[in-house]
Amino acid sequence: MAVRVDLQLEEGLGEQDVDRWVQSACVLCSHGCGMDIAVKNDRIVGVRGRAEDRINRGRLGPKGLYGWQANNAADRLTRPLIRRDGELVETDWDTALGAVVERSRQLLATQGPLAMAFYTTGQLFLEEYYTQAVIGMAGIGTPHMDGNTRLCTATADQALKESFGSDGDPGCYEDINDCDTLFLVGHNVAETQTVMWMRMLDRLHGPDRPRLVVVDPRATPAAREADVHLAIRNGTNLALLNGIQHELIANGWVDHGFVDAHTVGFDQIRKIVTQYPPERAAAICGVPATQIHEAARVVGTARRLVSTCLQGVYQSHQATASAVAINNLNLLRGMIGRPGCTVFQMNGQPTAQNTRECGANGDMPAFLNWQNPNHIEQLARHWNVDPSVIPHWFRHTHAMQIFRYCEEGAIRLLWISGTNPAVSLPELARIRSILAQERLFVVVQDAFLTETARLADVVLPTALWGEKTGTFTNADRTVHLSEQAVDPPGEARTDLEIWIEYARRMNLQDADGQPLVKWSAPEEAFDHFKRLTQGRPCDYSGMSYDKLRTQGQIQWPCNDQHPDGAQRLYEDLVFNTDPDDCEEYGHDLTTGAGNEEKDYRALNPAGRAILKAADYSPPHELPTEDYPLLLTTGRTVYHFHTRTKTGRSRRLQEAAPEVWVEVSATDAERLGIGEGDLVRAESRRGSLQGRARIGDIRRGVVFVPFHYGYWDRQASGPDGDGRAANELTVSDWDPVSKQPYFKVAAVRLVRVEPADGQQAPAPEVTA
Amino acid sequence: MRLAKGISQLHQAEKDLADEYGRVADRHAVEHDVYHMCHLLAAQCESHAERLGPFAERYGGKLRDVDAPELWESFMGTVRRKNAELLGRSKHTGLLLLRDLRQLYLLAAETEINWWMVRQAAMAARDSELAELFETCHEETCNQLKWIKTKVKEASAQVLVGG
Repeated sequence: MAVRVDLQLEEGLGEQDVDRWVQSACVLCSHGCGMDIAVKNDRIVGVRGRAEDRINRGRLGPKGLYGWQANNAADRLTRPLIRRDGELVETDWDTALGAVVERSRQLLATQGPLAMAFYTTGQLFLEEYYTQAVIGMAGIGTPHMDGNTRLCTATADQALKESFGSDGDPGCYEDINDCDTLFLVGHNVAETQTVMWMRMLDRLHGPDRPRLVVVDPRATPAAREADVHLAIRNGTNLALLNGIQHELIANGWVDHGFVDAHTVGFDQIRKIVTQYPPERAAAICGVPATQIHEAARVVGTARRLVSTCLQGVYQSHQATASAVAINNLNLLRGMIGRPGCTVFQMNGQPTAQNTRECGANGDMPAFLNWQNPNHIEQLARHWNVDPSVIPHWFRHTHAMQIFRYCEEGAIRLLWISGTNPAVSLPELARIRSILAQERLFVVVQDAFLTETARLADVVLPTALWGEKTGTFTNADRTVHLSEQAVDPPGEARTDLEIWIEYARRMNLQDADGQPLVKWSAPEEAFDHFKRLTQGRPCDYSGMSYDKLRTQGQIQWPCNDQHPDGAQRLYEDLVFNTDPDDCEEYGHDLTTGAGNEEKDYRALNPAGRAILKAADYSPPHELPTEDYPLLLTTGRTVYHFHTRTKTGRSRRLQEAAPEVWVEVSATDAERLGIGEGDLVRAESRRGSLQGRARIGDIRRGVVFVPFHYGYWDRQASGPDGDGRAANELTVSDWDPVSKQPYFKVAAVRLVRVEPADGQQAPAPEVTA
Repeated sequence: MRLAKGISQLHQAEKDLADEYGRVADRHAVEHDVYHMCHLLAAQCESHAERLGPFAERYGGKLRDVDAPELWESFMGTVRRKNAELLGRSKHTGLLLLRDLRQLYLLAAETEINWWMVRQAAMAARDSELAELFETCHEETCNQLKWIKTKVKEASAQVLVGG
């Protein structure tokens, strides 16, 4: 059968016109499709799916097909900027980096390393995160290091650690081919990972169709394909999942042989979930109890179950407890570690896995355990520094706490790379006021003048994907090498070059007075990192750039035992929970209280998976008379994050040009709102305006896509009513993973002006 | 039997702890995690106290209703929250937070040891229902202690060294 290869070139060009094809992979979602970059006259002119890549078999999604156009945007940053008399003006690298170094030195001398913080992304490459982690932890010695992965997959990371002892998704995408049941919780896969959705559709519309259960307050494309669609009230995932676990136990759908041999904690979860008969869960979730019975029956009688979740769980109330409850389902059914049986704690961003592996997100590199002195010793040896230099008295500071420390003046230098908190963090008025403080020195490293960059003191122009070489890892642990295809524009530099130059100027040294950062090229950084991972769950030691070039892609662990990488983790049903190996000792899921080593040893997991549960508690901000609706924010397939790249791709921008406010027909009628009417959405924290889309969404719920900010209005924030969904959201986060809640905020809608023939600018093809 | 006395002391400890969680939540309203978790834990303590009611009756005791007048508390809560907002950008908030967390820890420890007293008495009195209540509530109290300790571990370095 011929393979379909998706191809997109600049208008008027054919494949024969391309000068060269450069091996890469897509960086516009976590799926990680293999693609080649087309170059003509030293310019990127298109992309082509890689037919031989097992991730996508030549297929690409719309963002992948068109996102590269942003590389050629006319408004790329090509020179550093520095704030002079209140204005950002162009300068040279020496002046810009000189200012950063001067402020760093001054702060280290007067306040010490705890006055400095780094906030990075899920968009850079492994080599860049690793270098940043070395500089931050061993060079500066600050615990204030996080990535925007905090908003994206902190809960995935956390839930995997709580249940299996370490980060790393156990399964592979082929498990979708082999399953007989799919359970999707808060995972709008048709918008977030289109090529994975194609894989699911191939099954759903093919022979031997798997059964599908979807949990989502909106009638998403996946929900429309489902056998059971539970349109639950926002913020009640945990009650539903406790109800389903209740049914598995009550109906004898638990594989007790598996549970006895390979898990601990069954009695603890039974005690909790038996309090959630479907009737009680149904009352909390606002769906009929029969639907919960039916969903539980589908999950309970599955022979090969693949469960997945994403932001509908991670960004919602009781995130970690809910994500762990999904792990519980597969464990209770004994369905993990073999074909068609796994749980996917999905990632959102393409390189989020690497932020986590390299320690740029608050974790230690190589899944080392901050509470384990032997692990810190190992890390210090690898970096040739004294262990006391590496902050390990607590988990590294999460993003919301970093911004709080900036707010109270404890942190005086915040270095932001490749992300846009002035649009992506909750309660934007507060975030803007923090970033705008005179006493906070803000460095922004980006390819464009984002909303955040407009608030910076120094802006450093960077290379994008296609303009640098490096590796990244998708949600099924598959590593791709992305080669440099063209040079970055003007004076823009790679993030790696910027970090290394900063380390050199700061004269950061190891214990022998040698340079701390011992590499100058991506491949050297990769090799340094991979040696650290040897023997760890994320073992890269058997990989090399050459091998990645030849094989196209490799899944970790890749070592002597698995020279070509391992398709699945835990095939031997031995989990990474041994106290000497595990990445964390775990938490109480209700409070986030952290275990100490002795607590963990008392639990005695010793290679068994850990079952954990928590009671449901209501979200903190419930609808009131003044704010009667519940806001959920989310995505459209055409945009990525804050549209920094996709908004500069003509085709993607035209497909989803403007924010909209989605509301149910019932609520719209009650409020006198029609399709296309301009409405104002207001919360206690702010407001925005957008046109109303009357959609297939749960009554009482309002949806606003979070991509739209102010850069294309040449501003860092609104003038009057806003446009960004996060004007409305609440500063509140999961007690365990510290991931902010974007799915539960009370709002009201007010009609501003009639549609006058206009429709909402919402895409028609998807949800 | 003086079990009623033990229950009453425990009840009082839970009520005091609940009140203190409420005050700490308001005083640190700008620390969003502290604010929300303290409210959740205050409710947990209130629920413990309420569930002790029938047992106090069983052993002939009477639980004192010590709730402060609601209007006054709501007024003071507003004052504390406004104060927290005003001080939100001051570097002294960290020290105040540590002081409050230490006080919470002591009160939670008092509650925890009171639970043990009641549990031992329940065993001797062969009151399996009361012993069962201990199992549920005491574990939550232990997790409260653990949460306070976790929060202290997080905050101390920044407040005492970072400035």
